[in-house]
Formats: sequence, C-alpha cells, structure tokens
Amino acid sequence: MTESTLFAAAMGLFALSALIYFVFLFNRRESTARTAFVPVIAGLVVHTGALVLRTVESGHAPFTNMYESLSFLSWATALAFVLVNLRFSIPRIGPFLMLIVIALMALASSPLMPKETTPLVPALQSYWLWLHVSVTLLGEAFFAVAFVASLMYLSAKDPAKKDKLDAVGYRAVAVGFPLFTLGGLVFGMVWAQKAWGRYWSWDPKEVWSLITWLVFALYLHTRIVMGWKGKRSAWIAILGFLAALFTYFGVNYLLSGLHSYA
Amino acid sequence: MKAFIRFFSSVKLAIALLIILTAASILGTLIPQGRSAAEYAARYGGLAGILVRFQFTDLYHSLWFIALLGFFGLNTAVCTLTRLSPKLRRARRPQVAADPKSLAARNPKDRFRRSEGLPAVRTEAEEALRAAGYRVRSEKAETRVSILGRKRIAGIFGPDVVHLGLLVLLAGGIVSGLGGFKTQIVLREGETAPVPKAAFEIRLDKFTTEYYPDGSVKDWTSAVTVLEDNAPLRTADIEVNHPLSHGGFNFYQMSYGFDWETASVEVLARKSGDPGFLKALELKPGERAPLGDAEGTEIFLRRFLPDFVLGEGNRPETRSFQPNNPAVLIEGIREGRKVFEGWVFANFPDFARMHGTEADDLAFELKGFRAGQYSVLEAARDPGVPLIWAGCLLVMVGLGLAFYWPTCEIRAVLEEAPSKTEVVLGGQAAKGRDRFEKEFAAVAAALRRSS
Ligand code: HEM
Repeated sequence: MTESTLFAAAMGLFALSALIYFVFLFNRRESTARTAFVPVIAGLVVHTGALVLRTVESGHAPFTNMYESLSFLSWATALAFVLVNLRFSIPRIGPFLMLIVIALMALASSPLMPKETTPLVPALQSYWLWLHVSVTLLGEAFFAVAFVASLMYLSAKDPAKKDKLDAVGYRAVAVGFPLFTLGGLVFGMVWAQKAWGRYWSWDPKEVWSLITWLVFALYLHTRIVMGWKGKRSAWIAILGFLAALFTYFGVNYLLSGLHSYA
Repeated sequence: MKAFIRFFSSVKLAIALLIILTAASILGTLIPQGRSAAEYAARYGGLAGILVRFQFTDLYHSLWFIALLGFFGLNTAVCTLTRLSPKLRRARRPQVAADPKSLAARNPKDRFRRSEGLPAVRTEAEEALRAAGYRVRSEKAETRVSILGRKRIAGIFGPDVVHLGLLVLLAGGIVSGLGGFKTQIVLREGETAPVPKAAFEIRLDKFTTEYYPDGSVKDWTSAVTVLEDNAPLRTADIEVNHPLSHGGFNFYQMSYGFDWETASVEVLARKSGDPGFLKALELKPGERAPLGDAEGTEIFLRRFLPDFVLGEGNRPETRSFQPNNPAVLIEGIREGRKVFEGWVFANFPDFARMHGTEADDLAFELKGFRAGQYSVLEAARDPGVPLIWAGCLLVMVGLGLAFYWPTCEIRAVLEEAPSKTEVVLGGQAAKGRDRFEKEFAAVAAALRRSS
C-alpha cells in the first residue's frame, strides 16, 4: 500500500458517497442518507491512513507543500462533516460538502502540484508547524461546513429547514472560530516569534488570516448583538469562507510574502 | 462625557470599525508595502504621490491605521465596561423572586400540580436542581416560593474576557512599537561583540551548517558564549526556531556567510613537459609564494571569486557570496615581472588557460578553498511580548467560556394552594439549547414523578 493508492481509494469512497447523497437529495429517504454516510466514514479512515503513511515516509508533518496541505484540508473537511452530521444529523449538506472534499483532492492530485517529499528547510523544522497548520486547517474545515449550510439556507424554501441550516451554520462557526483563532492567529504568532523574532509582521498571509478572522467576528456580532439571523448572516459566513480560501490559495499565487513555502 | 460614552459603547460603531479595518487591511495587501518611490511611480504613475502622501504604501504603520486601531480599542473598552457592572450584579446578587406569568412565557417551560405541601415540594425542587449541578437560591414571600438555579455562570463573561484579551493584545502591540529594539550582530568564529543597549557581550565559538544528503541545508547552528566583563556566563546553541533568551534579549539565527576576504585557497601546479612535477600551494588572496621550479617562478593569487560570472563589460565579478562557481585569478611572476595570468575554476578544471609571454607548459588546478564563516544573529528586545501572550491566553479562555461554558438558568415558582402546590418551571440558556432542553425536561420529570 502506498500513500497515493490510499489517497485514490479515499477519493473514490468520497465520490461514491457524493453519488449516493445526490440520490438522497431526490428521494429524501433516511435509509439512503445512512447508506451515503458509510463510505464517508470508510473514506475518512483510509485517508487517515494516507496521511499517516505520508508522515512516516517523509519523516515530517504532512503540510510542507500544497499537495500535502490540500490533502490534509480535504481530510479535515470530511472530518468536520462527519462530526457535524453525528451531532446535528443534517445529511442535507452531505452532497455539497463531499463535492468540496473531492474538488480539494482533485486539485491536490493535479499535475500542477508538486508531490515529492522534500527535506524541510530550517524555518519549518518545528513542532509549531504541526500545531499551527493542523489547527488552522481544521478551523477552516468548519468554515467550509458553515459555507455550505449558508448557501443551502439561501436556496432553501421550507422555514423549518431554513432554521436548521441557520443553526448548523452558527454552530459550525462556533467551532471553527476558536480553532482558527488558536491555530491561525495564536500559534502563528508564537511560531513567528520563535522563528523570526517578531510575532506579527503584516505579511500578506498574516493580514488575510486577520481579515478572515474579522469577517467571522462581524458574523458573531451582527448575530448576537443585532439579531441578524438568516439571510444577512448567511452572506457574511459565505464571505468569511471565501476570505479563508483566499488566505489559503490566493495569497500564495497572487501576493508575495514570507509564507512562501506552504 | 455622556455623549462620548454613548458613542463609544455602540456596537454599531464596532461593526462599522470592523468593516473599515477589513477594507483597509485588504487594501494594504493589494498595494505592495514599503517599496521605493521609483517603483510606485512606475506602477501607479500620477497616483503614486497621493498613495505615498496618505501612507498607503506603509499602511499598517500609518497614523490613520493606528488611529483606527485606537478607536477600535476604545470602542471595545467602553462597550465592555458599560455592560460589565449590570452583568456582575446579575451574577453576584441575582433577583430570585419571579412571577409565574413571566416564567410561563419562557422556553422551555413546564407547569404541574403536586399534592404535597409547599415545604416538601420546595426541598424536592432544590434537591432536583442541585442534583443536576445547579447552584440554588430561593426566597419565600407569603404563599409563594421562588427558586433560582443556575450553573456555569462564568460563561456570561466569556465575551468580556475575549474583549479584555483584545485590549491586552493592542496594548502589547503599542509596547512593542514603542519599546521594541532590534539589531543585527555579525560575528566571525572566535569574535566577540557587545550587544547594543545591554551590559553583556556575545562570542561566536563555532558556526556549523548541516546538510541533507541531497545537499540542501538542514540547519544552521551558532554556538555562542555570553560574557559579562569578559567573564563567560553561559554557552548556548542558537538555531533557526531555537533562539537564545538572555537578559531580556532574544538572539535569532538570521543568516550566515563566508568570509571570502580571508579565504585560503589550495592550488595545484603541474607541468605538461615534466610528469614528475607537482606542487601544491596554499595562498590567501593577495599572497605570493615561490613555485619551486627551475625558472624560479612566483605565484601570486590576485583574486578569489566564490561565484564567478562575467558582468558588465565582461568584467569578472561574483554573483553571490555562496561558493557556486569558485574561481581564482593567478599570476606568474619571474624576476619581478608578470609573465602570465589566467582564471582557474574549481568546477571546470579543463578550462584553465594561462595567457602571457611565458605561460609555457604550466597548468593549474583549484583544488580546494577554506573560508571562515560568519553568522548573522538578530538581537531583539521586545517588552510587548509577555502582553501578547497574556492577550492570546485571555482571548482563548474567553472564547472557550463564550461558546463552551453555556450559562443555564432554571427558575421555579411554587404557589401554595389548599392541600396542593402549583409548580411553574421556566428555563433559559444562551447557548447549547438542545442539550439544555433535555436537562430541563429531566429536572421537570424528576419533580413530577415524585408525586
Ligand atoms: C475583532 C474583535 C472582536 C472579537 C474577536 C470579539 C469577540 C466576541 C465574541 C467571541 C463574542 C461572543 C459571541 C457569541 O457569544 O456568539 C462577542 C460578543 C460581544 N461583543 Fe465582541 N469582539 C470583538 C470586538 C468587539 C467590539 C469592538 C465591541 C464593542 C462595541 C464588541 C461588543 C460585543 C458585545 C456587546 C457582545 C455581546 C456581549 C454579551 O453577549 O455579553 N465586540 N465578542
């Protein structure tokens, strides 16, 4: 078993579950939703194996290039979906979240992404690499859940479904926001202080993490203090996830800065 | 003053500031920061002047951006403070007496009748709440007993702790900006340098570069000794990601280089006409040494370039300070006259050709070179850092409280009636409604069942 076989197998399982979830979207049978959840769990287990194997093979944390971090982000997104679905049983968001997972994995396996394991440059040799990247990406995975719930909120008609989607969106942010704060901002500052001697340098990646964080702070405040539930809230969550995506991809390809390696 | 407080306690202002700060931050990532005036002129033409004048080119350190942050801090402080004292009062001395009608309007709620008398039901209700982890207060007024059960009251202060953390972070930023100091210290092995603004010196004992098998750099390490008045205090290894902390300063491994000025170069000389002739010379740039041949040639090592390229006007120069393409310029001198010269390359041994009147059959090879390395350390003192960590801690603790320490409240009003007791229950929780509703139902069921 090599890492890439496991990765492909996990992707196949997620694709299978997406397929069944789309059937569920039309037939609305509980049993179909339960069937679709099985390959998600199986895919998550296999994907976990791929990440472990990669870590063992390379001897370092599996987030040092775009392939590795995309693989981890897709894994985290599947995990976030599993947790949210177990807690709130909302299979309706399944098809679209699985599409996001598959899209991330497809992007990871595109020929544009360098896949070979490379030795770590000195600045990355730190356990803060683990803490910073894994917790941040886990937070972003929950933002992805909020994103899908918000998009579905905007397109749903039935008030009861809308209420549930709104609540799930909020709960996903309530998990994602503390994780993102801890991983992206706090651990990022600690590591920057250790590696570069300054906890904050207004580097574009740092600024875009801050922007993402400010957008979700806006989400929480408009909701709690001004009672903006529903439509406006959904739009802010969507913007927040787009900001997170830009932090992740856009900054690397469109802006330049210190965070050039991952 | 009142108007000031009203203005700065407004959450609408906070939302406006959040939006403006976000927009300004985005702008700062679109305009490259801290470049030269010429670059801006080339990029933005006539607009460049305006951008520079309003500090859009150093946006995050501009007066207006810092003022925005200041407003934001003031807003957070005033907003949190004005809400704090009523919150504290509610937490410490809550109103226990309640009105059955207002409880019946709550969600979740419950109402039922017990056949026991008031004192028995009161004890039971208090017990049921305590068993579920609630802190209980109760009051009797005439025929009515009001019971207030609450748990995880600290949760309502979560947002305040987050906001306090943000203020501490801003304060840390200010302290760093005003009191921070950093400088670079360049040290050769064996050298000692004073640390500016500190009462100690630092000596580089050894600098090592570790490589991976594929030749890329694995780590840089500076072994240093901290000295005070020439007396060694401690030794330490400074590596990337492993700074040394001493006397309020942190020392980081920033970069390194080779000290080419004092490099020592090993050159091999051969004679094509005399296979037995082989001479190794070790020279520093600017040094000369006799070759020991019959002609009495002296070899002068004129130049050493670590990364040879032909620059402008075909003049040899070095592209970098890394030994990518080491080359030496050798001159042959006989009887005080230069008789030949030529470049010798380490990477291209066949390329060496001597030009001159008497180059004859001499061939040279650049066998090796040794250069001492210097290490660049950054010495930084940042008194804001402890505040930053304290702020981070507060923000995280506050977020934990705000989202995962949900304050729950269950109130009961027991009304004495002839040979029975009327019970009204009402619950309230800001977060975690689904779990709370289960808990509420369990408490209500326990109280009903006993009858
Ligand atoms: C980026 C900066 C800020 C962050 C990260 C932040 C964070 C938070 C969080 C996490 C909550 C709890 C939300 C919830 O329970 O869902 C909250 C509540 C609140 N925030 Fe902020 N805050 C920020 C700035 C501000 C500012 C500037 C104000 C000033 C007006 C403010 C006013 C409030 C108020 C009034 C509440 C509700 C308090 C309560 O429920 O007791 N926040 N904030």
